[in-house]
Amino acid sequence: MFEDRLRDLLISGRNQARKKGINAEFSFHREKSSLIRLGNSAVALSTHEELTRLDISVQQGRKVGSSSLTADITSSEQLQATLDQAAENCKAALGKDYEPIFGKVEETVDDSAGFDPELENFSPEAKTDLYAEVVKALKPKGKYDFSGSWSSGSTEMYYITTANDNEAYRRLTDSKFLMVLKEQNRKWELSVERTANKTGTFMADDVIAEFSSLLPIYEKNSGYKTKIGRQRVLFGPQAIAELLMLGIWGGFFGRFWEEKRAYTAKNKFGDKLFDASITITDDPTNPNVFGMPFDFSGKRRRPFVLVEKGLFKGLLYDSMAAAKYKKQPTGHDLSNTDFVLAPGNGPAGLEAGKKLAKNALYIPHLHYTHLPDPTKGMFTGSSRFNAMRLENGEFIAPLFSTRITDTSPSVFNNIVAVSSISVSQNESSTYGRRMPEAMSVPEYMLCDNVRITDVADSF
Amino acid sequence: MNTKVDNIAPAVKNQFERMIGSGCSFADARFYDEDSSQHIVLYDGNLESNNRGFERGIGVRVLKQGAWGFAATANLTAISACFDRALANAQAAAKLLGFPKDMGPAQPTKGQYRPPVEKDPFEIPLSEKLKFLKDIDTSLRDKTVAQRIVTANFQRRRIYYWNSEGTEIDRWVLNTFGSMMVMSPDKDGRNQRRSVELYSDGTGTRGYEWLTNPDWFAGHAERIKSELSEILAAESLPPGKRDVILLPGQGFLQVHETIGHALELDRILGYELSFAGGSHVRPEMIGTLRYGSEKLNCRAGVVENSAGTFGYDDEGSQQRDFMLIDKGVLVNVLSCRADLAEANAKAGKTVVKESGTAARASAFYRSPIDRMTNINIDPGQDGTLEDIIKDTKDGVVLDVPVSWSIGSNREHFHFGCEIAWEVKDGRRTKVYKNPTYQGHTLEFWGSLDKVGNRSTWRLHQVPNCGKGEPNQIMELGHGIPVMRFRNVQTGEKE
Repeated sequence: MFEDRLRDLLISGRNQARKKGINAEFSFHREKSSLIRLGNSAVALSTHEELTRLDISVQQGRKVGSSSLTADITSSEQLQATLDQAAENCKAALGKDYEPIFGKVEETVDDSAGFDPELENFSPEAKTDLYAEVVKALKPKGKYDFSGSWSSGSTEMYYITTANDNEAYRRLTDSKFLMVLKEQNRKWELSVERTANKTGTFMADDVIAEFSSLLPIYEKNSGYKTKIGRQRVLFGPQAIAELLMLGIWGGFFGRFWEEKRAYTAKNKFGDKLFDASITITDDPTNPNVFGMPFDFSGKRRRPFVLVEKGLFKGLLYDSMAAAKYKKQPTGHDLSNTDFVLAPGNGPAGLEAGKKLAKNALYIPHLHYTHLPDPTKGMFTGSSRFNAMRLENGEFIAPLFSTRITDTSPSVFNNIVAVSSISVSQNESSTYGRRMPEAMSVPEYMLCDNVRITDVADSF
Repeated sequence: MNTKVDNIAPAVKNQFERMIGSGCSFADARFYDEDSSQHIVLYDGNLESNNRGFERGIGVRVLKQGAWGFAATANLTAISACFDRALANAQAAAKLLGFPKDMGPAQPTKGQYRPPVEKDPFEIPLSEKLKFLKDIDTSLRDKTVAQRIVTANFQRRRIYYWNSEGTEIDRWVLNTFGSMMVMSPDKDGRNQRRSVELYSDGTGTRGYEWLTNPDWFAGHAERIKSELSEILAAESLPPGKRDVILLPGQGFLQVHETIGHALELDRILGYELSFAGGSHVRPEMIGTLRYGSEKLNCRAGVVENSAGTFGYDDEGSQQRDFMLIDKGVLVNVLSCRADLAEANAKAGKTVVKESGTAARASAFYRSPIDRMTNINIDPGQDGTLEDIIKDTKDGVVLDVPVSWSIGSNREHFHFGCEIAWEVKDGRRTKVYKNPTYQGHTLEFWGSLDKVGNRSTWRLHQVPNCGKGEPNQIMELGHGIPVMRFRNVQTGEKE
């Protein structure tokens, strides 16, 4: 439940706006964040931030203006000044050539199910201790340096508007752990990732075991320089999440589709886009995602299908694109979605995936991806952590940095198998503000004819 | 408590005494009395973003037993608690200590900085800005244009910096950014675009007057419309090896991604490995690595009207101008004070003598890290763009990035551009669409064989360089001449 003092302050702001005849939306964001950065096998930085942010948007007819405040928000004067600034911006604004949609909280939401007070206050000492345990166990075994980051904290979001008296509130905790082992001479890199919304989800032993399972291939074999051209690739969770995001970004945003800039622009709902094993949803009820229950136009978020068994089923419309193109908003006035690539019928477990792949490249991570041609769904990015060459179903060598430049339709149409097991892939970032985000993806996806366009002589 | 700077300053200095008394070797604080921003976007003439932002708060660092602790708060009545939190963080970090951080010797400095500005953008009425941008939008309208985007961004910050050595800096930051873009589907249904961002020749002031100078922004509306029409009628650039001439509008990103990021000392030392990545440069290479041909002269520069010019960095070091790559040889890197000792120890010799004044933070709630400033290529002596084209038998002129993807150690790259002009036997012959090129960093810079003179040199700003955890978006600049590279892979290898 939202703290009474702040709730009262924001509701008084809403009442003030109503008295003045101002249509206003109030979004409040509060975070308690801590982060440890590991570098060269030591803690390089330990941070803590406690921040509150208020965003107010004012709409009068076809004019909209907004104002944001990041400060210690304790007084009605601050709130009033922010509201006045938004109203002033609205007054000076240019009217749009369409009727903008004003935010309205569809139903009251009070969701603290994902909040763990222990994780909110998870200490830097505990993080340091776990890192130290892993470093102590593995550093003597080779010329290794360790780096990584471990972010944890809480996020509160509260949204109300002058349209009605409903309130939308969300409070959750999240944690994202990453540790990278780098061999100092040959420069290869291994990583282990974990995501959590409760404390005690994983222990140092888990991390040590995962690194230990990867080390022998890297230690005993020199780098494999693959050929340029089309190849079979077994993708792992982070790479699948990246492919999923690129595929959605290039093809499923309503504005881009309406403007003929999406690779799906020539398609209509029901058309076959991808292989029948591909089903993509935005599903806040999936247990592998953080599950945002509302968006910042007040829409209640429910499972939303984009692709079902390869068929085109839906497009994402935020309220701006919906208003412009006279469509219904779909609950996507937010930056942290809950995308899910459904599991398939492939055998469970990476070992089974390897056997199925036989001879392939194993690329579990894609680094620094971009879209050279979104209207074709073309993306590019390179392999990074834990990438290996598979022969006869076994890892035989670490892979030198390998660039893939292909299209989303091609990758999602060349599916050989999709694992029947799903995992959570944490995609949170902290640009500007804490915004937990995760995707649910199959643990592996095996694809043929993936286009390799460059190979380096190094990792 | 009164939270004006007159009260914050003594409160912070008291905390410095307390931190030093608690065994810290160094402490500093950045108080953002004002961090204002304005973001305006016109999309097809509709005002889709019309926002004013304001931030205020303090970020503090303490160094204890060679380990950093950082904390930030917007509650300016709780400065003591903020230092306590930073101290606790440093103590936790010291439990797993590597190379102990050491700020090295420094004389206390008292300084002020105010960027050259004629018209403070925040003093210009919103209605006037909107009229200016709307006029540009109107001039971009055309039957061949499907979408138009015009943006302006302004930042104004008042930052006070104090540290336990006695340094006191009072500075203003003021940045102005603008962009315009036109888009349309080509005959194959593929989206094409042409754009320009506010740029300059590196001279002049950096307030609202910069944005309204037609030479550097609004005057390009007709050109980008016309060039979009040419792109729409063009064929795709056939793949193959050829010479590549980068205009400054593309060259700035080439420098940014394959020189700037690769020369950040925290990346070189491995502190960015788990997020942004590492570097192909190792500390012992500083002073000897042949980074490119003898034509390559790259510096961390001080340019009058650039977002990469800030007077003093976020640990109080006065910004200075120095060479990074001299006649193709790597001679220095982008650094802050605390990493010098480690770099020199790892190199086994002194490779970095003083701070590169690159410690920068994006907000009061972020800790300073090594960032780019103005990473510039010195003008060369190979004449104008036309002179370089005349000297080219088989090549393309490329401008403005569409996509960029770089290897984790900045060792290889892939760029897509908005437009290519074919060059055959010393003449521009036709326009191509969908150009891409790729290469390996050292080999690519080794192929640099022509560098344009001062007339070709342009200052481009980057308003959104992402790095660090917690993530930080930073503003910076690149002054770049026209450059020619030999025998580059354009398009995809098959």
